[in-house]
Amino acid sequence: MNPRTAAIAAGASRGLREFVISLKTPADVGFYVGGIATFIIVMLFVRSTPIEGLDITVAQLLFPGLLGMQLAISATWGLATILATEREDGTLLRAKSLPNGMLGYVVGQNTRTLLDAAFAVGILIVPAAFLIPGLWQTGPAGAVAALGFLVLGLLALTPIGFAIGSIAPNPRAVGGWGLLVLGGIVSISGIFFPIVNLPAALQVVAQLFPVYWLGLGLRSTLLPDTAAAIEIGESWRTLETVGVLGLWAVVGLVLAPVLLRRMARRESGSTVSARRDSALQRV
Amino acid sequence: MFASMSNAAVTVHDLRMRYGTHTVLDGISFEIARGEVVALLGPNGAGKTTTIEILEGFRGRSGGDVRVLGEDPIRGDEQWRARVGVVLQSWRDHGRWRVADLLAQFGRYYAPFAEPGRERPYPVDELLALVGLTEHATKKIRSLSGGQRRRLDVAIGIVGRPDILFLDEPTAGFDPAARRDFHDLVHRLADMEGTTILLTTHDLSEAERLADRILILHGGVIAAEGSPEQLAREVGGTSEVRWRHGGERHVHSTPDASTFVQRLLQQHGDAVEDLEVRRASLEDTYLAMVAAARDGEEAR
Repeated sequence: MNPRTAAIAAGASRGLREFVISLKTPADVGFYVGGIATFIIVMLFVRSTPIEGLDITVAQLLFPGLLGMQLAISATWGLATILATEREDGTLLRAKSLPNGMLGYVVGQNTRTLLDAAFAVGILIVPAAFLIPGLWQTGPAGAVAALGFLVLGLLALTPIGFAIGSIAPNPRAVGGWGLLVLGGIVSISGIFFPIVNLPAALQVVAQLFPVYWLGLGLRSTLLPDTAAAIEIGESWRTLETVGVLGLWAVVGLVLAPVLLRRMARRESGSTVSARRDSALQRV
Repeated sequence: MFASMSNAAVTVHDLRMRYGTHTVLDGISFEIARGEVVALLGPNGAGKTTTIEILEGFRGRSGGDVRVLGEDPIRGDEQWRARVGVVLQSWRDHGRWRVADLLAQFGRYYAPFAEPGRERPYPVDELLALVGLTEHATKKIRSLSGGQRRRLDVAIGIVGRPDILFLDEPTAGFDPAARRDFHDLVHRLADMEGTTILLTTHDLSEAERLADRILILHGGVIAAEGSPEQLAREVGGTSEVRWRHGGERHVHSTPDASTFVQRLLQQHGDAVEDLEVRRASLEDTYLAMVAAARDGEEAR
């Protein structure tokens, strides 16, 4: 086998293994279970609450945005946290010591992120199918289009996760401050309430990030066209959505490898042990 | 001193490393022959880790020429990387993985680099037996003891059956039993596979026990090098001669104890009592170096 092919295969199996391990780890499972429990409770409350003037329920309006949020948590915040952690604990240095090890590592992280995101989205879709009346009113075409936006969203969000993880000073910075920043972005991204209710300046900020566009794209596929009335410009702006998400994906796919290479170049035994010392001092 | 020998696994010529204005390596040169086990010995802060990281290809250098297996490590490609084993000190990486799974995962990267007579990767079962982790194969890595973890580190370092293996302070934090087990393991590697090994340590007795040759790094230069016996002779240098004569004790330091004792006996014959010759040990000299380095650091 060609060395690069071997590394890619090893990376894919590494990602699968990491995902399976995570499913067997109580802390990780607790994170999923907590999320899904909150989701079900909220949905039970709003499943039949109608939105005035539109022919949909609050649950229907919320759901697409929540899918986008799940994806952002998995592919950006989760990935960045893991990357920063694995720089600190020496996982990355081990990858660097193997032939084509960084290639395998990145393939592994992509595989794990893909599985994690699919799982996170899946565990929302299954209860939603039972809890939310009218979820599939746009039919198979709507579902396929939604899947398309999920894939595009993953392409936009994953490179951001790699980029943040490779420049973050330590995992605590991503886990703590990163979560705060992500929370801020999500809260202005039109997931929990229509973005048109926000001050104009915040609307501009929200539109810089992919979370808003992913939510918008998903709403456009799962909701009737009349629901576009409460969006900016009373339109789904599908072209703009694909354009912005595509731009994020392209920028990320160009930038992430550069940052990853820079990060890998800097790894050595002494940088890892220096980080270990400073991490232990904090404990 | 510098000659490009074809059977050298490592050649280092005038290696220099500066961090800002601080000079860590001030022109060191040495060679390591294939199959040789060499210890880089020196007090903390002597530049051992810097040297080994440069050889591993993990760190650039300020100047000088370095070749490992014929290549400049900083430009070493994946083919080169496959022949180099690095033993890293694990901390908490891969804590949730099981021992055998992790070795199998890392082994896969080496499969395309197998050569006739050099099977790659090492079969996991053999590897586990070699490092004495067979009964821990299905354990989670974070449940291993410190000594078991270090043996796993070695297993990971050699899973690709490397031509050269680097170990940086491999026994730091070991208890004496774990240290002895580890020494046995290094001997086995060197004997069985003919692997070239470079290890760093600040422990002289460890260097004496493991290495064919010791390089003492001190003040950014190689202060002494040779086999443990050579070093004891050359660095040890002077001997102390003690004796009693006419009820009085005498002590005399001399580089040539045999001649001195011969003269002493010729002169006084039977009247010389309790004659004792003690060579200043390598340890005495090394400890003096370490003390000097520490004083220098405090003065700074």
